[in-house]
Amino acid sequence: MAREQGVLNLSRRGVVGGLSLGAGLFVLGMPMVQAAEPAAGHPESARFGAMLSIDAASRVRLIVPSTEMGQGTQEALARFVAEELDCDWAALEVELPWADQSFANPLARKQITANSMTVMGYYTSLRKLGAASRAMLVAAAAARLGVPAESLTVHGGVIRDPASDRTLSFGDVAQAASSLPVPQALTLKPASAFTIIGGKSPRKDLRPKVMGQAEFGIDVHEEGMLIGVPVLAPHPKASFEAKGLEAAKARPGIHAIVPVSGGLVVIADRYWRAKSAADTITLTVTASPLDKLDDKGIHDRLAAAFDEVAPKPFPQFDMNAFPPRIVPEVSGAFEAAFEEAARVIEAEYQVPHLAHATLEPICCSARFDEQGLLVRGPLQDPDNSHRTAAKLSGLPMDKVRVEITYAGGGFGRKWGVDFVSVAIEAARGVPGRMVKTIWPREQDLAGDQYRPAYMARSRAAIGKDGSLTAIHSRIAGESIMAYHGRPPMGGMEGLADATAAGQLIYGDYADPVKRIEYHEVDLQVPVGFWRSVSMSQNAFFAESFIDEIARETGQSPLALRLALLKGHPRITPVLRKAAEMIALDAPRAKGIGRGIAFSYSGANFCAIGVEVEVKDSSLSLKRIACACDCGLMIDPVSVEGQLTGGIIFGLQASLWGEVHFEDGRPTAQNFSDYRLPMMQDVPPIEVVLMPGSEEPGNIGEASTPVIAPALVNAIADAGGPRIRTLPIARTLTI
Amino acid sequence: MKTLTVNGAQRSVDAEDDTPLLWVLREDLALPGTKFGCGIGMCGACTVHIDGEAVRSCQMPVSSLESGQAITTIEALAGSASVGEGELHPLQQAWIDEQVPQCGYCQTGMIMAAAALLKENPEPDEAAIREGITNLCRCGTYPRIVRAIQSAGRVIRERGAAHARGSA
Repeated sequence: MAREQGVLNLSRRGVVGGLSLGAGLFVLGMPMVQAAEPAAGHPESARFGAMLSIDAASRVRLIVPSTEMGQGTQEALARFVAEELDCDWAALEVELPWADQSFANPLARKQITANSMTVMGYYTSLRKLGAASRAMLVAAAAARLGVPAESLTVHGGVIRDPASDRTLSFGDVAQAASSLPVPQALTLKPASAFTIIGGKSPRKDLRPKVMGQAEFGIDVHEEGMLIGVPVLAPHPKASFEAKGLEAAKARPGIHAIVPVSGGLVVIADRYWRAKSAADTITLTVTASPLDKLDDKGIHDRLAAAFDEVAPKPFPQFDMNAFPPRIVPEVSGAFEAAFEEAARVIEAEYQVPHLAHATLEPICCSARFDEQGLLVRGPLQDPDNSHRTAAKLSGLPMDKVRVEITYAGGGFGRKWGVDFVSVAIEAARGVPGRMVKTIWPREQDLAGDQYRPAYMARSRAAIGKDGSLTAIHSRIAGESIMAYHGRPPMGGMEGLADATAAGQLIYGDYADPVKRIEYHEVDLQVPVGFWRSVSMSQNAFFAESFIDEIARETGQSPLALRLALLKGHPRITPVLRKAAEMIALDAPRAKGIGRGIAFSYSGANFCAIGVEVEVKDSSLSLKRIACACDCGLMIDPVSVEGQLTGGIIFGLQASLWGEVHFEDGRPTAQNFSDYRLPMMQDVPPIEVVLMPGSEEPGNIGEASTPVIAPALVNAIADAGGPRIRTLPIARTLTI
Repeated sequence: MKTLTVNGAQRSVDAEDDTPLLWVLREDLALPGTKFGCGIGMCGACTVHIDGEAVRSCQMPVSSLESGQAITTIEALAGSASVGEGELHPLQQAWIDEQVPQCGYCQTGMIMAAAALLKENPEPDEAAIREGITNLCRCGTYPRIVRAIQSAGRVIRERGAAHARGSA
């Protein structure tokens, strides 16, 4: 079951090519021949593969291969190792990684923190790392004590011989253990024996973060470092004329003004000097892939695509097969459903471009010297950053080192490598000096890789008995994968990109015949992954439409969903729970409305109920209730935090999130016109974690896409308008 | 050349008049705990104390500062609460106990804003916190921030009471 659920997630993102690879193929980090250098400053430590070392004082150091951007995977992955190693948790120190093939996520087959694959990808492999290292330590202790390994016990980093009551610490035997053969047959603990996994102790990164000592990308520092501030055209492939360069160069502290893809970087000894000089430069765009694109142009091109662009199908998958296989349509069933329909319900929905607005603005540091190229930054894709850096610099991979800092939010933005390229191109202009490129907020919002704008048209066939017999949903918009020059997610030419069309109709709504089609529009707006990717638009489209169908056919929105789910063992309980928490069917005063929605992805099932009040075109949020089953929880406190925070992230997109375009450029400037919720904007949120014993799933993207449909469904329930275009602030005063 | 009093020490600063305090702290005085988020005084990631009051340091040009003003940053917040060496301010401890930070980027500014709030109002109810803290957190940690401020407020009040009893 768990294996199938993992597959489900992959197919959503369509990494079908990777499906045959099971997790957990490597032990002690792969390969055993270490490309990894010993952790700086700890040469005396005994090494257990690429990520783990133990010193004579029994301090355990783990290089956590994922990028920590607030989602808590650094902690989760450390718990995997510690659980099986049986070390002293307090003596385990986590270190930030660098780009290294030894750190690859077995599921993604590369080192990347995206697609909610981190916990699922490393769950088995890092427990095996802990278990194998423990076995080697025990074997070394057994040899030292002259007793069989089986007779020894391990607890908190101490190995004990119960017969003689002699003890050895991990540090006592680490050197001897590290040269022993790596055991291949390992028995991992059953989940019922876990003591660290599932615990509620505070994460290890909290103390440095509250002290101001955690090193984020923007904090990278070395002696003699320079600061770069970019001045970028609205598209990396735009050509432009720059004015004011000479005057800017003559300002105090300016070292260079370096051309980069689609713009310039002003390099100075201080940020403020670079920023002040950058502000005096004007770029006049002479040609741009965006031409004169504006909001109306985007709308018109998406609308026209339904007629003018041949659709690509997004097939239904059988998730019970491994790898999942495409279910062929039953010939004629779709056409028959609409021909025989007593009634067809139709609706059109729209969502705008969205910015990521990580609170840490985009930044990255780079330095060329005789050793090669060093890149340091808050990077979600070390693998691609490394390859991009090598390609740009013309250096071999082993002359390029890419180090990962804490990320002040990621949400998919730092998966892009556009800003890594800008940083490297800037640094090339001042060899020997590290250049930290910091994007002012205005540049960060105007130079994002946005969540694409989409339009969806859906129609439902209702049979003579009032039952829902077929749904046909079409989506038009830009393909993230196409913008990045990659094959469509799913890896299958001719089929729709899963990042656009995935789950436009929920596969787990069993009965109706479904047809999903994608009309791809080559808008050329820079686009990228945005927390929850395809679900960020498709949960809104799918769960709004099912709600409309229920209300139009006189059914309760909850009852229709439950009927279509046919007792789905994991969705049904969370949906019922969220409905109960929000008192979905309880009597309500005039103007009060309640709505519900859910989404699922990977091994994750999340439902949200919302209560609102709508009065004279003004909306107030009363409360939000969320129930989620993500399988076995590694860190329940983080799970709750991800769900609550994910709701607030989705709330921003639902209420206000919208990047406008005018004259070929995005107009967003700062938080003054890209509004983020403050504390007082957020209603009470209640989260219930549903007990799950399935293998751990994903959590960082679970709740974000669900809040928008729950909200618009509640607004309709309150007697307000049916909102089919986000953000809600276009229609109601908030 | 300008003299500022930062975290109790006199520091000489050589920066153009319009340079925001934020960048002087981060780049000239090696105090990176104060963060840059928006540069227009909205997000509050750059919050520091000037004479005990929370200010957005990105909006404070060095020319507007006087050497007699006491500037406190997150790096010295614990010291300002007269706690022992290496100990945390009650707010920082509460932030850990309530497990507030996610990415953590906004949290130093958030804690500085909370410290100033508690000074004004030692026992804030939820409404006072929601109104009083206008800093932005993109990860959405707000509900835990409310709990952490209230729990730190309790600790500070109890310590104050114990101190008052001790000195009576």
